[in-house]
Amino acid sequence: MKLTILCLLCLVCYSCNTVKEYEKQNINDPDMKLSARSSERYETNFQIYREGASGANGGKTGGGCGCN
Amino acid sequence: MKKILFITSLFYLTSANSQEKDSTAVYKKRVLETAEIEFLGSYYQQDGKHSPVGGGIGSEELKDYTSNIVLSIPVSDDGVLTIDAGFSAYTSASSSNINPFVSDGSFTTTTNNNNTGASRSMNSNTPYTNKDDDYYNTTTTVPAPYGSPWIESTGASRKDVLKTLSASYSHSSDNRNTIWNANASVSKEYDYQSFGVGAGLAKLFNDKNSEISLKASAYFDKWYAIYPTELHEYSLYGMHFQNSGYFKGVNILDEYGMATTNYLPKSFHPFSNEKRNSYSMSLGFSQVLTKNLQASVFMDLLYQDGLLSTPYHRIYFADKANYYIGQPRYIPIYDSPGNVGVFRLADDVERLPKTRFKVPVGARLNYYINEQFVVRSYYRYYADDWGLEAHTASIEIPYRISEYFTILPMYRFYTQKGVRYFAPFEKHYSFQKYYTSDYDLSSFDSHQYGIGLSYSDILTHARVLKFGLKNIDFRYNRYERSDALKADIFSLGIKFVQ
Repeated sequence: MKLTILCLLCLVCYSCNTVKEYEKQNINDPDMKLSARSSERYETNFQIYREGASGANGGKTGGGCGCN
Repeated sequence: MKKILFITSLFYLTSANSQEKDSTAVYKKRVLETAEIEFLGSYYQQDGKHSPVGGGIGSEELKDYTSNIVLSIPVSDDGVLTIDAGFSAYTSASSSNINPFVSDGSFTTTTNNNNTGASRSMNSNTPYTNKDDDYYNTTTTVPAPYGSPWIESTGASRKDVLKTLSASYSHSSDNRNTIWNANASVSKEYDYQSFGVGAGLAKLFNDKNSEISLKASAYFDKWYAIYPTELHEYSLYGMHFQNSGYFKGVNILDEYGMATTNYLPKSFHPFSNEKRNSYSMSLGFSQVLTKNLQASVFMDLLYQDGLLSTPYHRIYFADKANYYIGQPRYIPIYDSPGNVGVFRLADDVERLPKTRFKVPVGARLNYYINEQFVVRSYYRYYADDWGLEAHTASIEIPYRISEYFTILPMYRFYTQKGVRYFAPFEKHYSFQKYYTSDYDLSSFDSHQYGIGLSYSDILTHARVLKFGLKNIDFRYNRYERSDALKADIFSLGIKFVQ
């Protein structure tokens, strides 16, 4: 938790520096997206079934029994 | 002259205004230019030796085929409607053993009464060895039921199909700095259905370098509980269940292989509430840090109430006598895969608290090294009030090998401290309030490693009918858990644009 707060603070401090739109060619690369790929969804699904932890990955946060 | 000046000024202002409007129209880029359709599919297989249906032992062999079609439609310059329909079809040795008993004639028993129980009804085509008219009063040899937690039963529960349908709509403001969305979903399988709704809001600021998002979801699920056969019969017929229904005329054995009528799972009672509700709030913050680096942190708050146990996960108490159906010679090796002929009768099903509060906190950090390499990393910490604590870390390094193709090596590590209600096979006691022998909730580590291949062409040179091929993603991952569960998953995604 402390680490997360520290990361959050770092991000907020960094947010003072802005990157202009025309400088975002690399940031806009599809591999740079800050979310799981659509083809990753099935891996996330089976991980939710086979592991006790879930959430905080942009996937489903409920629904389904996950019982098989 | 004044008139000319006035008309000229008016024309200029009108023209300027018109140009401004035009320029707005020109530069307001549609959120989604054209309709997109994505076909997704996967094949998953696993095997292990800790089936929760067998109370913590038994085959966990499972195969699952899943497919989805995702259609994204730009309904206006600002709005996108997404419809996602899919199914998941599985066969599972573990869940087949909700009713583990078969009587295919390979194991017979001698009886002198009118056997109308499982051993007879399941094999009405199997001839009796004695066909005398008065066989009710004679000795007959009949096929007897047997089972094993290590082999897949032929019961209906060995397979099922999960069907899902969801729709979402997202709307962006004119300056694209505010995005709201709403979604609804339904899913249905034989013994479970789910209905979910959600809504979210995202705000971009700081020249679109920062984004804060908030999302709320609620799922209203319902079990149609099915119980292990022996417990189901007990709940139907009570104290006399061994002389009724499925078990009428079936021999129940004790630890020494002797027939007995002492089996009475008094701890068992069906769940009175079969609903399960899940509520979640997700908060996210993402930030472009440099021209090559961006990160996000996010936290969910999840609360569940209702039936959080799985109704057909068996429990065997350490302080209760053991009873079996099947072939007595396999009783001494019951918990080894060599047992192919006897199944132990449950004392109860898993019992877990009726509420659960979960707090996962995650972060992503992506770094663009150069035109060839990108590093995608992810970390999550998770804790809940059942005592489960987990860490997840993963890394993926896409490597562009040509203009169109990228190779994606990946690795994921996961470790968890199990819930306080977990104990292995036959380690729970009947006086406990909560218990489970589901190894998914035990302490373990897991390693997942894999590789992907991605084809991407934003100009969609390749075309199928009216659609241009935008990208193809293939992924293979191997998953190994420290309790010997192993799994493989193959995923494929193909996206077309109109």
